[in-house]
Amino acid sequence: MGNGKSIEDLELLAIRIRKHILRMYLNDQSLHLGSSLSSVEILTTVVFKYLRRTGDPINRDWLILSKGHAAPALYAALAEAGLIPLEELEKIHSINSILQGHPEISIPGVDMSTGSLGQGLSFGVGVATAIKIHGGSGRVYVIMGDGEQDEGEVWEAMTHAAARKLDNLVVVVDNNGFQLDGFIDDIKPKHYLPHVWRAVGWKVHICDGHSIASIDRSISDAINSKAPTIIFAKTVRGKGVVEIENTKSQKPGVEVVKRALINA
Amino acid sequence: MRETFGKLLVSLGEIHRDLVVITADVGDSTRASYFRDRFPARFFNIGISEQHMVNFAAGLAATGMRPLVTCFAMFLMRAWEQIRNTTARMNLNVKFIATHAGLSDSIDGSSHQALEDIALMRVIPNMKVVVPADSSEIMRSLPRIIAEERGPVYYRIGRDYSPPITIDISDEFRLGRATVLRDGEDVTIIGAGPVLWNALEASKELSRIGIRAAVIDMASIKPIDEDVIEKYARKTGAIVTVEEHSIHGGLGSAVAEVVVKRYPVPMKILGTITFGRTAKSQEELIEHFGLGKNSIIKAVAEVMGSGRRSRVS
Repeated sequence: MGNGKSIEDLELLAIRIRKHILRMYLNDQSLHLGSSLSSVEILTTVVFKYLRRTGDPINRDWLILSKGHAAPALYAALAEAGLIPLEELEKIHSINSILQGHPEISIPGVDMSTGSLGQGLSFGVGVATAIKIHGGSGRVYVIMGDGEQDEGEVWEAMTHAAARKLDNLVVVVDNNGFQLDGFIDDIKPKHYLPHVWRAVGWKVHICDGHSIASIDRSISDAINSKAPTIIFAKTVRGKGVVEIENTKSQKPGVEVVKRALINA
Repeated sequence: MRETFGKLLVSLGEIHRDLVVITADVGDSTRASYFRDRFPARFFNIGISEQHMVNFAAGLAATGMRPLVTCFAMFLMRAWEQIRNTTARMNLNVKFIATHAGLSDSIDGSSHQALEDIALMRVIPNMKVVVPADSSEIMRSLPRIIAEERGPVYYRIGRDYSPPITIDISDEFRLGRATVLRDGEDVTIIGAGPVLWNALEASKELSRIGIRAAVIDMASIKPIDEDVIEKYARKTGAIVTVEEHSIHGGLGSAVAEVVVKRYPVPMKILGTITFGRTAKSQEELIEHFGLGKNSIIKAVAEVMGSGRRSRVS
């Protein structure tokens, strides 16, 4: 993890991770498929290019999946990183599996138990603050959803992070344009958010969330920034399963996913 | 109570160099300001943001620090889900010192009077709940809890009113262990917080008419001292509980859960049944809501006359 793989290596890893998610879906059609698929390249880049897992709590990096419903994507990445046995992936959601519906710290590689939206950033601000107090070298990566931005606690956390000038904090928003009930613009438009975060004092990037090179450039800039950075990564919900791309559907059915698996 | 807490916090800060204090713009009201003045680098006023405060403290705790969160009990409750889903689910070492609880914020009225918080905290796995009777009990209990407890604790105190209840008690405080303030054989009064003063007054008055009422300080509501509850249920055959909290889900409920399991006896639960209100003093409100000496005596008479179970010595 975090060992500076090439873009090509990362792209191959992303393909493997996407295939793991599709296979997990074949075993359990209740997982949040569309919102896991939109996070694949973001998680691949953070986990395999940047995340430094060794060291004490203030000299290692932290990964917080605040949009906990993308757990399948996280588990697939952690399995590729060797923290979870690959054969465990197909057991997701089973009563005797370690892989819970949302991340739990009992799962190797999970830094925060999530699942309730809007809480990961506050926790990340706490960790980043502790690192700063102790002069540690760790960085904190928080992956959020765009729907999640509705939560009031996000405002509480982002204003505090800016006030504390936490330059060791990087947020990536999986900007897939959907929230649970549908298209974001139909529920509560959020097009103004980059302006809001910038006005509060964050460095704001916008990138292509399915281009590892584009994500990589943004994160690289973020870790050299003197302000906390948020990256709005434009993504496609359901990426890789054309039948559900850019829809709110999470359930394309087994046959469709089998075809997608062959084409992936 | 808050004065005692504020001063004690400074000495705890001297002992525990990893202790950090977090509040949501109520540093002066909670007296956490004394800690701020002594250890400014270890004090975080995160603004009026209770939900963020809870998860921020969780993040600090996850790295191994020892955060203590303090704010009004009522406004901490808006972060119940954060406490449940992050702090407790991850079993993090965060201490919540909830001030202005019960009827203690008499002037501010019902919006500020937390009468449901014990119930809300008690149901959360991993969470422990402590309600000290008075300033002396804060001095006996809080240092131990900070030093020894590694998981989340909800520690509920009032504002200024603190009649001397445990001033003569020298026992070490232990979670899950009750303190018998006054022994008795005829009926048991179990309380937590300043209303124990009223329980003691009631017990003294009852003794004048020959009723020997035991009074038990159940500061540790979770874990609760099941053995003492069973012992006094057997010994006295009837129990009255009193608390500055709703009759639903608080100390009375916690005692009743033990009583039905270990040794069922008639019980009377004294507490509030609806929202609070404004008054000039906490003492007035305690009387107003039926938690004063005379109400306790009336409850004792009722529970003793309600087919009390025969005593087992």
